[in-house]
Amino acid sequence: MPKKKNKKPLSEYSSWELIGYRFKKNKLAMLGVFMLAVIILVTLLAPLFIPYEKVIEQNVRQKLQGPSLEHVFGTDELGRDMLARVLYGGRISLLCGIAIIAIAFIFGAIIGGIAGFIGGKVDTVLMRIVDALMAVPPALLAMAIITALGNGVFNLVIALAIAQIPRFARTVRSSVLTLRNMEYVEAAKCYGSSSMRIIVKHILPNGIGPIVVAATLTLGAVILSISSMGYLGLGVASPTPEWGTIISENKINIRYYPYLGLIPGLCIMFSVMAVNFIGDGLRDAFDPKSKN
Amino acid sequence: MNDDLLQIEKLNVEYITDDAIVYALNDFSLNVKRGEKIGLVGETGAGKTTLALSILRLLPKKIGKITSGSIKYESEELLDKPESYMLGLRGRRISMIFQDPMTSLNPVKTVGDQVLEVLNLHFPDLSKEEKNAKVDEIFRLVGIPAERKFEYPHQFSGGMKQRIVIAMALIAEPELLLADEPTTALDVTIQAQILELMKELKEKYNSAVILITHDLGVVAEFCDSVAVVYGGRVVEIGKVEEIFGNSHNHPYTKGLINCIPDLTSTAPRLHPIAGRMGDPRIKVQGCCFADRCPNATEKCKTTPPPMVYEGEHGILCHLYSKEGA
Amino acid sequence: MNAPLIEAVNVKKYFKTPRGLLHAVEDVNFKIFEGKTLGVVGESGCGKSTLGRTILRLHEATAGQVLYNGENILEYKKKEMHKVQRNMQMVFQDPYSSLDPRMSVRALIMEPLDVVGTGENLSKSGKREKADRIMELCGLPANHANLYPHELDGGLRQRVGLARAMILEPKFLVCDEPVSALDVSIQAQILNLLMDLQDSKGLSYMFITHDLAVVKHISDEIMVMYMGQVIELASSEELFKRPLHPYTRALLNAIPTIDLSRRNREKVTLKGEVTSPINPEPGCRFAKRCPYATEKCKENPVLKEVEPGHFASCTMGA
Repeated sequence: MPKKKNKKPLSEYSSWELIGYRFKKNKLAMLGVFMLAVIILVTLLAPLFIPYEKVIEQNVRQKLQGPSLEHVFGTDELGRDMLARVLYGGRISLLCGIAIIAIAFIFGAIIGGIAGFIGGKVDTVLMRIVDALMAVPPALLAMAIITALGNGVFNLVIALAIAQIPRFARTVRSSVLTLRNMEYVEAAKCYGSSSMRIIVKHILPNGIGPIVVAATLTLGAVILSISSMGYLGLGVASPTPEWGTIISENKINIRYYPYLGLIPGLCIMFSVMAVNFIGDGLRDAFDPKSKN
Repeated sequence: MNDDLLQIEKLNVEYITDDAIVYALNDFSLNVKRGEKIGLVGETGAGKTTLALSILRLLPKKIGKITSGSIKYESEELLDKPESYMLGLRGRRISMIFQDPMTSLNPVKTVGDQVLEVLNLHFPDLSKEEKNAKVDEIFRLVGIPAERKFEYPHQFSGGMKQRIVIAMALIAEPELLLADEPTTALDVTIQAQILELMKELKEKYNSAVILITHDLGVVAEFCDSVAVVYGGRVVEIGKVEEIFGNSHNHPYTKGLINCIPDLTSTAPRLHPIAGRMGDPRIKVQGCCFADRCPNATEKCKTTPPPMVYEGEHGILCHLYSKEGA
Repeated sequence: MNAPLIEAVNVKKYFKTPRGLLHAVEDVNFKIFEGKTLGVVGESGCGKSTLGRTILRLHEATAGQVLYNGENILEYKKKEMHKVQRNMQMVFQDPYSSLDPRMSVRALIMEPLDVVGTGENLSKSGKREKADRIMELCGLPANHANLYPHELDGGLRQRVGLARAMILEPKFLVCDEPVSALDVSIQAQILNLLMDLQDSKGLSYMFITHDLAVVKHISDEIMVMYMGQVIELASSEELFKRPLHPYTRALLNAIPTIDLSRRNREKVTLKGEVTSPINPEPGCRFAKRCPYATEKCKENPVLKEVEPGHFASCTMGA
């Protein structure tokens, strides 16, 4: 959206501008944007104040020290600086998490959209494939894919994304199915709209709300599944830090040194919360019935 | 025994929503005699359904509230009664038929069981055989072969489902039947069947019927008397002949009658009522119809009109009062 | 007024269903002239809406021809169809689901201009001006332009739906039960508006409804359908004065009116209900409910011109 200095009256806004306007007026959503921006900035700028060596540098004499001036977040069992690990870990967690959701969202939307909009045999075939994927536990599916593609962070992202596609495809399909039969879609056909235009102008704006929310809610689960994969030795392996991995490698000490779990846990929580606020804000922004 | 079955006096009902109070019924008064067929006509938002729900005390909890007035059923004040008393009343002495037969039946139970359930609830002392015999009889009365009672709602057409709903409403032989738009979702020929059926059963059980509808034609053909509802009030009440047969009408009733395309006339244009229904969130000072009324005067906007009676025919309007408008 | 604007020739529409072939529209023929209204009446499931949609190619016809100014539009390719599309528009029944809830009134009304246009090549402000003019024409207050559908009542929404169709300056409108979801006082407003538009713009209507009083009021000719078949077609006055088909007579008899003199008329109550015409047996589809049915009704009925301009497929008991 181009920025314009001279303020137009609301009535001049296009529908996308209006969505932006409503989003900006939503305080919780803006808080979410702010939180996520802070988290991403801090993790991205980490190299400016902590060198990467700190992440893997072990110092057994200083193991399991609580937060102090020297180690703001304390140290773990091997005496590694938790602050460094959490900051660098966040880069992987967030990047992978968002990438996974994005990939799953795009492919899920395409598959679900095609199945729902075209219907008939195309729908049947696509949905049976999706059903088959859904029948396999996501962790098992991801493991199988990583085994086939080879280990590595990139392949982990692909594997977890594929495991998420069925959920998105199902959600998108069902909302397209209801929307496709609305009379306003028929009206649009009546004045000659192409299928593409109907999808972009009518089905997408009306159906996107629940899908965006589903996407944001999935983020937390995805971050955790990255770590469980890491625990199994797939994808992100120790000593490379990642929020989920940090929790799982410290799990024996969490009972007596709770900060070890608390800090990465809070990071995950705040990220997911921020994304949820944004998701809710987007859903409301797309809906002219919302009070803003 | 008293002839009056239901007496509603000065009933006020409000809906409290997040941002406003909606005044759904305002000083609503209505008398229903035993065995009477009374039609409640009015447009969407007039308060017809709210009245039915108030009688049964089924207003949505926390949102709908009866603020004042009285509802007497067989001289007993219903508004003071505990919920347990109402449970014994609903479905037994007062039954309700809803507009949409598609959604008022439970899709996972056979229709026979659903009718039987009413008996189990209100006549637990009857033996199984007696109950089954009663169910078979009511099915015969509503014109459905008794062997179809083992089928599920989706196996019936719309008209047939409404017959089952009627069977459920009448099996306990209630003294009062509230029918909320019972034929609106049906085709004309089916509507004619259902109205005929309701007439017959009404005669058999001598129940009183309050027929809620927006269709003046249905009221004219089915009912003995009519109450015209606007803005949560009865603005005109009288026998069918008095309402549709003479020129003495409330301006709103006149407006409604003029709106209907007539089968016999060839007038090129209809005469709609000017404006639209007032905002129910605002309490009106004078007459609720004053804003749309062609005969409105200053007085109509400031003073609430009186109910002016001529025999049993009442009109809520300054035009007909002694002092005049 | 010599050639009809719209003509349907043996239009058929069948749907495949899991239980067999649904004969929704069976060999329908009619002509609509410029500035005239054809009313289509029948009960739910009689195929009247399907017929309307088939004429506009929202459904592809199974067989038959639809002629617009003498040309069969069913043979048109996408591009050619685009050109005639703006001349043939539709007004929908449900004023709640026929408007995209995410678009403002003005955006809704302007949208057809962005898709098809009227060949005028309007600038953005030109389009807005045009939308404002159409809003005024359809009785929508100018300050409603930035409201959303959920902020309007049924009557205003229906005006928006009408304005959206009217902005393309069509010659022919299919109105599918445009007033049946509205209260009587609002219904009268919309009917008057439709008639005003017809007078000022010379529009032709195909007016689909189940309400006989409404259809009599607005139509020049009326076509009665039963389970996909046309059973009677006559001028509006003639049909109400001399209904010939047993079904038409039952239908007219069943209308409840406030005319107290009709109160004690002899009631003709039909038995049974409409079923759906899936793999129908040959013969008259009304026979099962008809009080005059005989063995002869097993032959396929033919629409005959009983009197000049009055067609009926059966005149039993008339």
